[in-house]
Amino acid sequence: MASVSFHNIKKSFGKTDIIHGISFDIRDGEFVVLVGPSGCGKSTLLRMLAGLEDITDGEIIIDNTPVNDLEAKDRDIAMVFQSYALYPHMTVRENMGFSLRLRKANAQLMQERVAHAARILNLESLLERYPRELSGGQRQRVAMGRAIVRDPKVFLFDEPLSNLDAKLRVAMRAEIKELHQRLKTTTVYVTHDQIEAMTMADRIVVMHDGIVEQIGTPLELFDIPGNLFVAQFIGSPAMNVVKGDFKAGTQAVAAQGVQWPVPASLARHAGRTVHYGIRPSDMTLSTTQQGVPAQVVVVEPTGAETELLLHVGGSPLTLVMHGRTSVQPGDTVHLDIDVSKVHLFDGQTEQRLD
Amino acid sequence: MKRSFLKTVTTEAKLLLIGIPVLVWTLVPIYHMFLFAISARDSATSGRLWPQEPTLQNFDFVFHQKHFYLDHFWIQMGNSLLIALTVGFLTLLIATCAAFAISRLKVRGGRTVMNLALFTYFIPAAFLAVPMYKTMGLYGLLNSQWALILAMVTIASPYCIWVLKQASDKLPYELDEAARMDGASPMQLFFMVYLPLMVPSLVAVGTYSLLLAWNEYLYAFLLLSNDKSVTVAVALGNFLSADDSPWELLMTTGLIYAMPPAAIYYTFKRYMVSGLTSGAVKS
Repeated sequence: MASVSFHNIKKSFGKTDIIHGISFDIRDGEFVVLVGPSGCGKSTLLRMLAGLEDITDGEIIIDNTPVNDLEAKDRDIAMVFQSYALYPHMTVRENMGFSLRLRKANAQLMQERVAHAARILNLESLLERYPRELSGGQRQRVAMGRAIVRDPKVFLFDEPLSNLDAKLRVAMRAEIKELHQRLKTTTVYVTHDQIEAMTMADRIVVMHDGIVEQIGTPLELFDIPGNLFVAQFIGSPAMNVVKGDFKAGTQAVAAQGVQWPVPASLARHAGRTVHYGIRPSDMTLSTTQQGVPAQVVVVEPTGAETELLLHVGGSPLTLVMHGRTSVQPGDTVHLDIDVSKVHLFDGQTEQRLD
Repeated sequence: MKRSFLKTVTTEAKLLLIGIPVLVWTLVPIYHMFLFAISARDSATSGRLWPQEPTLQNFDFVFHQKHFYLDHFWIQMGNSLLIALTVGFLTLLIATCAAFAISRLKVRGGRTVMNLALFTYFIPAAFLAVPMYKTMGLYGLLNSQWALILAMVTIASPYCIWVLKQASDKLPYELDEAARMDGASPMQLFFMVYLPLMVPSLVAVGTYSLLLAWNEYLYAFLLLSNDKSVTVAVALGNFLSADDSPWELLMTTGLIYAMPPAAIYYTFKRYMVSGLTSGAVKS
């Protein structure tokens, strides 16, 4: 177990800058998820931590030791790859014991460690099989077993679930989280799937174009997104955002020909152009024919919830409501907006206005 | 159903239409050789499809070196074997190391090496025979079997490097990274991960270079001259130096000489299957 620090990390491939100076700390035993759209530099950052990529500038510190000049094998880090990367010519047992074999560990220790990891991951009956004889989920577990056997300071996961089907992904998600709760090893997990990030992380690092947009617990990011990008990236369905004028002396933002209500606490930002954000679950259908008028386009019942795709003055809007509804496509409805849940972002800088 | 059946039949018929002539084309000369080998000297050129009195006497002549041309048959056979095996081994060693360094370790200048390797085939090997003769003379290797071995390794290596490099490129790079994270040095990576996964390609390439050396005539003829150091291929050529060549013995020796390559091919054929890497990564 160990803490990890990134100090002003930069990465360039040739003349292209991929990562523009990233700094943050990961506490001992923490489960941190790096999340962002593809190409944001999250995998590169992870690979730099692993020692598989050179660090152009800055410093990575594991347990008070700078590791920039340490080889991957000397950093005491284990990594689970997206493609599993199991050695095809070795059995599950040999795959899991490979790192110990390289360290010339004695046979008994190897036997014990592999057996221990196999017990944790429920792989005991598969130890003599070859990777090609395993299902996707089993291969994934072997890849994790290979990491556990080493008992490393830090676990790295590089999009480990993206090759699995949806159902298995949910199951493995829980399995990895449970594993972390049991082993309490510092973990850095990369994904582009914000649901994975939300469900698994102690803290999430949202990355975009080689910079960190925001760091926080899943609910912090959901409730108080620091800027427009995080607001739209975190949460599913995504936050509704309209751009409009917050006229001085009014309690509303004018956008799409509609007045969007703003809480009194934000009144001091009046007089500028803003992005007005409201989550799909923070609106309800009004029963009083008052509020923001909207046209129903699509109704998507999912059983417990119903998702409505609406049009307000030509721009699309999503609303999620509990239970079921009798509204039909083509109907006009009115929206009650929970004013306390409204987010405002500056029209130019896209930073949060509090 | 019926349509697809008809389609299958037409496809197979087309294949047979091509396959049968090719088979006949290939087998007739071999049958001819076989016919010579089991015929007595005076009936060898009779033109029959099966000799009147088939005999194994020719094999006795060859195995017991009972002819002027066959005085050193076993030594020459040994030469062929030694040279072919050495060429196969050396080529494999060079090509594997080159492919590993270029494809997996991504050493600088790898592309240049690959381009140079390809460039060597712009000039036919036959054109290089005389320069090679001069070079070997310069090194003082003429009439040493090393001359032929080095020449054959030179000719075989570029192609083998290309084939192995292409095969290496198909191994997922994550395997190397996983091994590095597991603590493997480049040497350990080479021996414990790379080589076992490359076995099918190594067998294919090794067999190729071995057979290339086994079948070589021109270079062997040029670089070796002593009766006791030449290969069987050259010795077979020497049969034709007389006006009255013992055809039946030439063909018998040729038939025997063709056996080891056939055996090698059939032994290693089963190793030449792909699919050993399945299960490594999700494709």
